[in-house]
Formats: sequence, C-alpha cells, structure tokens
Amino acid sequence: MATQIKSKAKMNKPSGPDWNALLVKVGSHQDKAAFGALFSHFGPLLKGFLLKGGGVEPEQAEELVQETMIKVWRKAPSYAPTQAAASTWMYTIARNTRIDWLRKHAKKNHQTDELVAEDLFDENEESSPFTALIQTRNASNIREHLNSLPQEQLQVLTLMYFQGKSGQEVADELAIPLGTVKSRVRLALQKLKLKISPDGEEQVVYAS
Amino acid sequence: MINNHPNTQLLTDYATGGLSMAPLISITTHLQFCDQCREAVSGLNILGGELLTECDEAELSEDLLAQTLAMLDAPMMANAETAAETPKSSLCPDLASQLPKYLHRFLNSQELEWRSLSSTLSVAAISVGETDYELALHRIDAGGKAPVHDHKGTELTVVLKGSFSDEDGIYREGDFLMREPGDVHRPSATQDQACICLSVLSAPIKLTGIKQVLNPFMRFNPS
Repeated sequence: MATQIKSKAKMNKPSGPDWNALLVKVGSHQDKAAFGALFSHFGPLLKGFLLKGGGVEPEQAEELVQETMIKVWRKAPSYAPTQAAASTWMYTIARNTRIDWLRKHAKKNHQTDELVAEDLFDENEESSPFTALIQTRNASNIREHLNSLPQEQLQVLTLMYFQGKSGQEVADELAIPLGTVKSRVRLALQKLKLKISPDGEEQVVYAS
Repeated sequence: MINNHPNTQLLTDYATGGLSMAPLISITTHLQFCDQCREAVSGLNILGGELLTECDEAELSEDLLAQTLAMLDAPMMANAETAAETPKSSLCPDLASQLPKYLHRFLNSQELEWRSLSSTLSVAAISVGETDYELALHRIDAGGKAPVHDHKGTELTVVLKGSFSDEDGIYREGDFLMREPGDVHRPSATQDQACICLSVLSAPIKLTGIKQVLNPFMRFNPS
C-alpha cells in the first residue's frame, strides 16, 4: 500500500485513509478511533520491520510496537503534517524506541537511563525551509526507484535501517570493507535522488 | 557558510540509529547550524518511512490494540518526561549564550569542570553516562594555540563559537571535522575571540566486542 505523503494539508489521497490526517486527529482530539486505525495499519508494519532487523523475539517486537504507539499517542500533539509524513514520523519514533530498548538491554552503559534517544536527536530535524516540497519529491522518487536498486545496494540499506546498524557494523556483518558499504550507500542514495552530504563522499582527511 | 560537514555515511548512520550517543550528539549539534545536512537527514528519514511502509506485515496478537488503548490513559511512565525539562540550570549564562540551545539539556544538570591542557587550551568533559566515548567542550583562548598533537584514531569536532585554524584551513561556527588517525595538527583560535568546540573522543578504556571495530575514536592526546 502506498504511503500517504502530503505536500498540502488538504491534498486528497487517491487511495487508502489519510494517515497524516488521522495522526493530526489523534493529536488535536485524543481521538481513539483514529489511533486504532493508525495502530491497525502501522502496528503490523512496525512489527514486520523490527522482526526483519533480527535480535528481537516476536513478543519483544510487540512490546516495542506498543511502546512506539504509546509514544505516538503522547507526541501526536506536536505532529505537523507539513513537516513529515506519518510514515516518516512513525519511523523516527520507532527508531528511537528501539535505540532506548537496546541500550536498556545492553550490558554496559547502565547509567544512561536519564537520557532517551528522543533527547539526542534533533527535534527540528525535519524542518528545513523547503520541507513539504522536498518531502513529496523525495518520497515519490524513493517509491519509484527503490525496487530497481541493485540487490547489493538495497541489501546494505535495508540492513542499516532494519537493524539500526552503522555502516561499519554492516561491513563487519557482510565481511566486506567499510569503503564498499559507503560507496553502495552513496550510490543507492543517488539513485533514489536523495541529497547526500554536501561533503560528498569523503570528509577531507587532513593528513599533513 | 558552513564548509565542513559530516560525510554521507555518518549522516546515514545517524538516521538509521547506528551511532553511539556521543557521535550522535555531535551530528545533531552540527544540524543546529546546517540546513543542508538537515535536509539530507530529512530525506534519509523519509527513506526510513518508506522502508517501513514497504515492509511485510507481521500479524499482531489479537489483544495488543486493546491492551495499548487501556494504557493510553495511564499516567506516564517515570522516565518518559524527566529529561525534557530540567529547570534549575548549573550552566553559567555567559557560556550558555554561546552554545546551541540543543546542548543545554546535557549541560544543565552537571557542573562543568574546566581543566587546562595548556596555557590557552582547556577542556571540560560532558557526562552523558556513556563509557564508549568522551564528549567534551574544548576552549581555545583568543589568539591561543593548542599544543601540537596527533590523532591515534578519529576525533569528531563541531565548532560552536568563534573559529580556529590550522595548517589546512579555517573552521567556523557549525563546521564539522573528522580527524583521522595519523593527523598531526596545531589548531589556533583566531585573534578576535575565544573558540569553543564540541568534541567526541574515545574513552580511555579497552573496548571489547563489536563496538571495538565500530569505535575509531581515540583519546585526544596533547604531546
């Protein structure tokens, strides 16, 4: 099913419910029916996403889905459809929830409970002056080109996103050099027409 | 105009949740200054949303929605909101005014202890409860020079206030630098004002397991 991306608050969706609008309803009216609809749509996707990443049991995945959706409920008043599509917003909340969960379950770094991922990421990371427009364009480019990515590029991207891993960790897992991962990521992002770092491939190495 | 940015891999690691806390904080700090990188991250998050939407659904337990609905009205969990507001700040207002607001949350709750590394360079560690990395503020006095030092590993730096230069160039507010192993340099602040930077260094402990490979951030080592 296609994601609902909006460039304008009143744009009509050709198919499926308008997830952005439902999310707004949750925020503005504590609308439990709207929440239920979002839950029924995104819950199974979130669980699938988490299971694909591995490292969690199905029950734990459900715990994480639940935790994510409770945060969605709590944070919905700050959701702005002009800043992010519901799917993007859900993704960032799920990512942060998983980070916190993994840290809580890791053996080291016990004493970090006072900081949660939500505090570490930029609250305004979605808000650049041109967001709504770029967002629509990005989302349709991604949908158009994602399935035609070479397998090796898609593999690296999905490993990173599904497992929440860094390029280095994916390189270790696949037993390939970090440089190979980096170039696959970069090529994939270029095919998806996503903006890459203004520094391009290399941060200049200031060797003397 | 910001001329030095995190590379694409770092931004992607950021968006996928693959970074440890201190590097993550350094990237978010750079984003406070840099619209271009924020736009790149925004695209990477949209990709995350699309991958989520394209995912194969996994059936949920029948009662999960009902259970979740029942929890919505319960009082918030203890740690849910605590970090958001820390009213009493121990951060000196003068310094606070020079740092991005984003960083205040990490500094409000702790006393910064400035320690001199040379007559013009001082450092204050920021505790985020993480053992893999050290997060710190570095301050070079106006016109001051840091000692020549080399990098045993990689160091991440974000210029927060003022500017500094070294043999290779001048770095201004918002610039993000990654120093690679073997780099030798001698940063000095420009004449007009002190330079304050945020930096990420490895902790002085041996790391084990997977993070060892992940962790190239070695200790800052003035010589």
